[in-house]
Amino acid sequence: MWLGRRWLVVALGVVFFLCLARLGTNFVTHTPGSDPWASTIRFFSGAISPSLVDQNPSLPADADPFLSRLGDDLLRTIRYALIATSLAVPGGLLLGFFVSEQWWPRNGARVLFQLIRWPVRISLSLMRSVHELIWAIFFLSAFGDAPFSACLALALPFTGTLAKVFSELMDEQNRSPRGVITAAGGSGAQGFVATIFPMALPDMVSYALYRFECALRSSAVLGFIGVETIGLSINRSFENGFYGEVWTALYVLITTVILIEGLGHMIRQRMMSGKVRTRSSGLSESELRKAAPRDLFLRVNGVIWVVVIFMAFSIGEPLVTPMVEGQRSERISRFLTKLTPDPIASEKSLLNWDARKEAWSDGSDQFVPWLADLWEYPGQEALINTLAMSVAAIIVAACLAILLIPWGIRTLANRNPLGLAMSRSSLPGVMGSLVRGFFVLTRAVPEYLYAFLLVGLMGPSAWPLVLALALHNVGILGRLWTEVVENQRRTIPSTILEVGGGRFQSYVAALLPMSLNRFILFFFYRWESCVREATVLGMLGVSSLGYYISIQQNFREYDDILFYTLLGAGLVVAGDLLSDFLRHRLRGENS
Amino acid sequence: MSILSVRDVSQNFGATLALSDVALDISAGEQVAVIGASGCGKTTLLRLLGLQNLPSSGQLAALGFDLSSPSRKGLREVRSRIGMLPQDLGLVPNLRVVQNVVLGRSGKRNVLGTVRDLLWPSRVEREKVFKILDRMGVGGKMYDRTDSLSGGQQQRVALARTLYQGAEVLLADEPLSSVDPARARDVLELMAGLSAEQGITLVVSLHQVALAREFFPRIIGLKKGKVLFDGKPTDEEISTLYDL
Repeated sequence: MWLGRRWLVVALGVVFFLCLARLGTNFVTHTPGSDPWASTIRFFSGAISPSLVDQNPSLPADADPFLSRLGDDLLRTIRYALIATSLAVPGGLLLGFFVSEQWWPRNGARVLFQLIRWPVRISLSLMRSVHELIWAIFFLSAFGDAPFSACLALALPFTGTLAKVFSELMDEQNRSPRGVITAAGGSGAQGFVATIFPMALPDMVSYALYRFECALRSSAVLGFIGVETIGLSINRSFENGFYGEVWTALYVLITTVILIEGLGHMIRQRMMSGKVRTRSSGLSESELRKAAPRDLFLRVNGVIWVVVIFMAFSIGEPLVTPMVEGQRSERISRFLTKLTPDPIASEKSLLNWDARKEAWSDGSDQFVPWLADLWEYPGQEALINTLAMSVAAIIVAACLAILLIPWGIRTLANRNPLGLAMSRSSLPGVMGSLVRGFFVLTRAVPEYLYAFLLVGLMGPSAWPLVLALALHNVGILGRLWTEVVENQRRTIPSTILEVGGGRFQSYVAALLPMSLNRFILFFFYRWESCVREATVLGMLGVSSLGYYISIQQNFREYDDILFYTLLGAGLVVAGDLLSDFLRHRLRGENS
Repeated sequence: MSILSVRDVSQNFGATLALSDVALDISAGEQVAVIGASGCGKTTLLRLLGLQNLPSSGQLAALGFDLSSPSRKGLREVRSRIGMLPQDLGLVPNLRVVQNVVLGRSGKRNVLGTVRDLLWPSRVEREKVFKILDRMGVGGKMYDRTDSLSGGQQQRVALARTLYQGAEVLLADEPLSSVDPARARDVLELMAGLSAEQGITLVVSLHQVALAREFFPRIIGLKKGKVLFDGKPTDEEISTLYDL
């Protein structure tokens, strides 16, 4: 039974206290005798004096300088992100096309299309629900080639996400132009190609650019499992206490992400608006064609992206490492044997069906007890911890964001809020820039990186992970929610200012209630991603699913890893379904 | 000679009866207005005439094609001779005007042909489109993005699309719904002029009785899915139609 959004907010409060009870209130945990404040102060003092040279005194004299190494790591980070995104975009487009209903005919053949759609949807859900770090662990073990495995690990979940979003974007387009094509005798496929696809294209390009930004962050995070990206530099420098180096790398990563975000914003705006030409009367067709408005910025960008992607594939370390004949297939076979649940695994070749059947008949009766044992301990506990961390994190992020956004909304945070003269002070504008800057900075750093740093400073407990997730998500929720409020109609909130009310009153009494539904929609969208991240954050030594994955990785127990991965994937899919349900209900309510 | 023939056609959507036992014939080159209150079945009738929907019962034929035994190829072929102008015009906002116009010929192309038309229309095609747009008064906007045009200009682009299609029948669903009173007359003058000049059969659904009387020799009045009158209505019939 659906009780409405007020009850939803109350329920979230109750759930937060349940999470608090589960995760405990030991926010900082340190071993006796250690001085956490000293290392925290040393760490943050690195922020004001980032290092431009090596801090490690024991490096050989002929070692590459720090900045040169950092530059190489950054280029590798960008390269992997580029390759992964350029693989994921066509994949997402193709699979998104299969999931979209926009090209389906209107007759009985729809049943056949449903038969194609559902297997694709389930595959996409599985691709998305496993974190790229876990895909990377699997691929590195199976194939061994770091660049290839890293790119594939990023590309696979990103393909799933892109396909889902692309199909939704296509389905949301106005169907009237497509109707005109079919009314004029064209087919559904023609209608799709000529109307739905061009209409969805600006949004799809915009989202693909956003995914590239995400790929950049994820590529950096792969450094924490040994892939040579900027994350590896940060990891090494932090563990050695070279905090100046850590901050330099962080600044470089943040700047790169912000630059990409800015470029994406410019491309998006250009694609949405298009150039308008005013003087055109009296010209012939060929003259008009020559004088047609063309956006040089978009064209040059298109060419640059194509060249850069080509370079990413062709320049630098080979994506696939050469191996002795048979070595790769043996490696894959060994991995797949290890991936098979222990009771039914066979040491002989995977392709030996007799051996497989024999192993199954010998071990099938132990398969269910094996699963039950893993579930009883530690599966159940890890799953609940993962869930509690994700819920606590998104609630903390939401509370922070809701407090901050009134100061960051462009339409309110200026001298003339909502177009009404208020004061001559420039303070609201400055505050607005600061808050929006805070959102940009917090979302530019990946959750895993925050978590790594915070566990180092606060000790190994669930709360550094919760805080890490919350910090990253406050930046994203802040941006999304601010945009929602800025897009609201101004008449109602400005009435409050007209009768003598202030900015904050206008926000609380009008803008917030008007925007609440969209806020909740985005809240659940981000919660899904928190669940996915919480699964892997445990790899930093805190009891969630990721913790047990990292332990079993040391012993190469891939069957156990698969079990925990599937538990996490199940949680993500359940979160996805719940979030879909709530979004559906909220869309039905008036905002 | 009748080119659109409706015989005892009923159309229901679930429990809702949108049209009930409608019978009418429309001859080649005829100009017809369909009037009635909102929800009376005007759009459903136009969609049936455009062979967009199959009737729940009754017989329907358009341009010699009998819908009682439809083949996919035949249906597409006959649709390519009927131009539809939906209420929102059905233009792709972020395509150029020329690209929207060439889409009128989709019924005579396959998917690859449509892509080619969109990306690399031939010189002959471009010149033909330009002539039509020029005739409609928007030739200078041929390479502009469609959403940069005013509402009136977009309406002309949508009409140009049906002219480029070479449609023998033009079905316009409430083309005046978002047009100010001064421009409404221009739109109808343009449509009626094109119809007379090129022999196109014109069927337009309208709310404005006065304009329907002024521009259309034949008016079909619909009420609750039934034809109340067909011809030149009297004032009394109009009052009954709108329950005045």
